[in-house]
Formats: sequence, C-alpha cells, structure tokens
Amino acid sequence: MKQKKWSKRKIKKQLTWYSFIIVSIVTLLLLVYLPMLTTIKYSMFDVSVIGFGEKFVGIKNYKILLTQSTFLKSLRNTIELALLGLITIPLGFIMAALINSLGVCRTQSFFRIGFYLPNIITGVSVILMFQVVLQGDGGLLNTFLSQILGRNITIGWLSSAKYAKIGATILWCWMNLGYSMLINLASMQSVPTEIYDAAAVDGANGWKKLRYITIPSMRGCFSFLLVTTMISGLSRFTDLFIIGGNSSAGVPGGVLQTILMYIYQFSFEVPNYGISSAGAMILFAMIFAFTMLNVKLTGFFDEEK
Amino acid sequence: MKKAKIRKGITIIVLLVVLVIILTPLWWAVVLSFDRAATTALPPFSWFPYQTTLFNYRAAAKLIDLARYYRNTVFVTTVNTFISVFFALMCGYAFAKGKFIGKKFWYIFMLAVMMVPFESRLVPLYLQYKSWNLLNTYWPLILGNFAYVYGIFFARQNIAAIPDSLAESAYLDGAGEWRVFFSIIIPLSKPVVATLSILQIIANWNSYLWPLVTIRDSAKQVISVGVAMFNAQQNSVYYGPRMAVAVLSAIPLTILFLLLQKHIVASIAVSGIKQ
Repeated sequence: MKQKKWSKRKIKKQLTWYSFIIVSIVTLLLLVYLPMLTTIKYSMFDVSVIGFGEKFVGIKNYKILLTQSTFLKSLRNTIELALLGLITIPLGFIMAALINSLGVCRTQSFFRIGFYLPNIITGVSVILMFQVVLQGDGGLLNTFLSQILGRNITIGWLSSAKYAKIGATILWCWMNLGYSMLINLASMQSVPTEIYDAAAVDGANGWKKLRYITIPSMRGCFSFLLVTTMISGLSRFTDLFIIGGNSSAGVPGGVLQTILMYIYQFSFEVPNYGISSAGAMILFAMIFAFTMLNVKLTGFFDEEK
Repeated sequence: MKKAKIRKGITIIVLLVVLVIILTPLWWAVVLSFDRAATTALPPFSWFPYQTTLFNYRAAAKLIDLARYYRNTVFVTTVNTFISVFFALMCGYAFAKGKFIGKKFWYIFMLAVMMVPFESRLVPLYLQYKSWNLLNTYWPLILGNFAYVYGIFFARQNIAAIPDSLAESAYLDGAGEWRVFFSIIIPLSKPVVATLSILQIIANWNSYLWPLVTIRDSAKQVISVGVAMFNAQQNSVYYGPRMAVAVLSAIPLTILFLLLQKHIVASIAVSGIKQ
C-alpha cells in the first residue's frame, strides 16, 4: 500500500517536470524534425506540384544539381562571398587591439559602442542606404575614391558583374565588423593580466606581447569566429535579395546569387520542390560540417558531464 | 610615460577617423532624407542638406503605410519575445533542476536542433503551413517560438547556478515545482530574461525571409519586407523618400540600442549570438 502511494507521487512528479518541456518538445517535433525529414524525402522525389504525381527518383535531383551550371555557379558565388566575408575577423581583431590598448576607461566604452552601432541597425534600412552609398554614379564610395585618387571613379559596386562581389563584401563588412570586434575584444580582455606582467618583466614590448601572448591565447576565439562567420556567410540571403530588387536572380549577371537564393527561386518563383530540397540538403551538409567543427572546437556538448 | 600618452592620443585619433568613415553612410542617409534636392535625383555628397525640408517624409507617408507595418512588427515582436523567453525559462528550469526520466535525451533532442539551419527546412515548413491553411496569418511567424533552443541552453546554464537550497526551503513549505518556478526561479532570472529578450527583439525586428515567404497580403506584412517591397518599386528614383523610409524603419532599434547599449553589448559578447 505504502509502496503504491509512493510510486503514484513519483509519477505525478514526473508529469509535473514534463509539463515544463512538453510544449517545446511538440513544437520541435512538428516544426523542425518533421520538416527536416520531409526535406530529405523530397530531395529524392520528383515533386513539382504537391499531391500530383510525386515520383521517387533516387539521387537524380542531386545529379541534376551537381551538373547544372546555374547551381554550381550559385555554389561558387556563396563560397567566394563567404570566404571574402572572413576579412571581418582580422579587421575586427585590429580594431579590438586598438580599443583594448586604451585601457578600461570611458573612451574605450565609447568606441566599443560606437563601432557596434552599425550591427544593431542591420536590417533592411542599411541595405537601402548602401544601395545609394555604393551606387556607380554619385555614390559615396566613388566620391571618396575620386577625391583621393584625383580622377573620376564611376564603378558600379553593386551593378557591375566585375565588382559586385567586392561591393557585397563592403556591405558585409559594414554590417559585421562590430560583431567581430566585440567578440575579439571580449576574448582579448579575458587573457589573464599576470601573463602580460611576467612578459613585461622579461622586457617584452607591446608588439611582442601581442604576437607571443595575445594571439596564441585567442586561438579559440578565432576558430569560433571563423565557424560562425562561415555559417552566416553560407546562408546569406536577405541583403543580396533586396539589392537585386526583391528577386533571387542575383543580379548583376547572377554573380550575387547564393545557394539560398537558388533554393528560393526553385521553391517560390519556379516551384520544383525536388530540386530545391536537394539544394537545401547540400546547404545543410555544408553548414552541418561547420557546426560539427564548432562543436568539436568549443567542446559544446562536453559541458554536459 | 609621455611616450605612452602620445601613443594613446594617436590611437584615439586613428579610431576616431575610422569611426567617422564607418558612420558617414548613416549620416549621409539622414542628410538625404531631409534634402529637397534628393527627392528625385542624387545630389553630390554633402555634410548637410542643400535645401532642408520634410518633403521626403511627407512623400514617403503617401507612398508607404509605414504605421501599419510598424504595428504589425511590434505585435509579432512582442508576442514572440514573450513566448520564446517564457518557454525557454520553463525548459531551462526543468533541465537545470528537474529529476525525470529521459532528461538527458530530451536535452540533446533540443540542442541538436541548433545544428539544423532554418534554411534547410524552409520549403517543407512552408508546405506544412500551407496544408494547415495557415499561410497569410501570423501563426507561421509565432508558433516556432514555443521552442527557442538557444534560449533553453542559455537559461539552463544560468538556472543551474542558482543554489538548490533556495528551492529546497520552498519545497519543505509544500510548494510545487510550478510555485518554485514562478516565485523563485523567474525573479532570480532577470538578467537571463533581459539578455534573451534583447536578442529576440533584434532578431524579430530584422527577420525577413520567413515573413516574405509566409505572408502574401501586404496589409499584414512586417516592416522589413514592407520596406524592401517599397524599395523595389521605387528603385533608382525617389532617393529622398527611400532614405526617409530607411531612417524611419531604423529608429526603434537605434533608440533601443542607445538606451540599453551596455546591456546589449554585454548580451552579444556573452552569448556570441549575432544580430
């Protein structure tokens, strides 16, 4: 009798704890796990209109994609843009080193906040602004370059196929530099000061301290930034979509079409869900690889001892 | 000592120059939005308007129903932030302090989601909502927030640091887990709530792809998509009004940032979450 009562209470306890998590579990099952499985399924089917003749085609969609020049081009664009975007890491490091050298004071927090400001207003308004800033005729960047070089520069940073990737990277840097600076700075400031003091006793100057103490102790921060910057670069969409005038074609001449824009095109403009799902799986595989790398480098799951 | 002072001065000057270069585009956009000369053509760069006017703002008001986009976005952002943070705290509490069968399994089940980028399940998710007849409503924007995975992780870390003794005395007084959650855990989790809310507000305000896909009715659309649609229609002309719209849509987050700068910067640095 006593035994039974005790187990009843135990069951009630179990149910109470489950009441805290059940909503989130159901949400994830329905809105993450189920659709993810559907993506895998569709990527192996010929589906143009749902409900009308879904046909199993095995790996044909993947074969089509990997031999199709437009997809391969978007793949190459995405990787090139993501790699160009990595420049925010060394730039952020330099900014962080300069800001850090000021020592903890009001000026330091002023610069920290000032450089972070662009990150907050990322979003559509920044893209609108940069369409004008990077415009070929009368844009801010060209005005600036013309002044410095003493001749008239009219590069269409976002409208010429030759320069569009550089223009897109300038926009990227403007939006992400503050983030990179902030993470670099946080990591830089967590290096124990005793090491620096010891080095100063040994006669190390500022540059040597940076080269032999700061940079080696920030390796974890660099790999974290490398992975997160790559991941957000690979799934780049919004800014390039808006620059193209709300189209996924990746104008000019398709040099700004990323994989995600390609997926969008074959999901919502010319629906071919089999093809777009296979594209989504390829994007997933690339991002997953970087995420696993991140897990390994930061030991994310190790914390759960 | 003097040498160090000079070096510090030079550093400050370099940083100031870079900061001015970075912030000039913002300033110019504001200038253009107040410049009558920028209404239909792009005037050469200047630090101040050639002809100061509010005309661009009035023109923008006629061309785009910003107030409606604002209302929609504020509604979605408020609901989503509240739901996501509240349910993240609930899960965080269960995973930090709970004792139940399958705890570890469900925790991994949730964390694993961080490895599935949203983009890779975009299409089936869209089709799912389509088959549920929920497109063109706010449900697709809201429902996913009942499981805010990063928030769950972050809340768990912080709630785990709350000493067990606090909850124990409440248990002895006969309080159940829910009582403890509301009367002890939530009040002690204010910094967690602040950080997660900030991250959620920024993410919701800037979210673009998902509302673009699920909401077709422009009267229901959120600000990011609404502004981008307006921009695409007015492309290459109406510089002034476009910049006016850009400025107006950037104001809320800018104000939020200026008010909460220290918290926001700390939140990003702690979480490592972008945007």
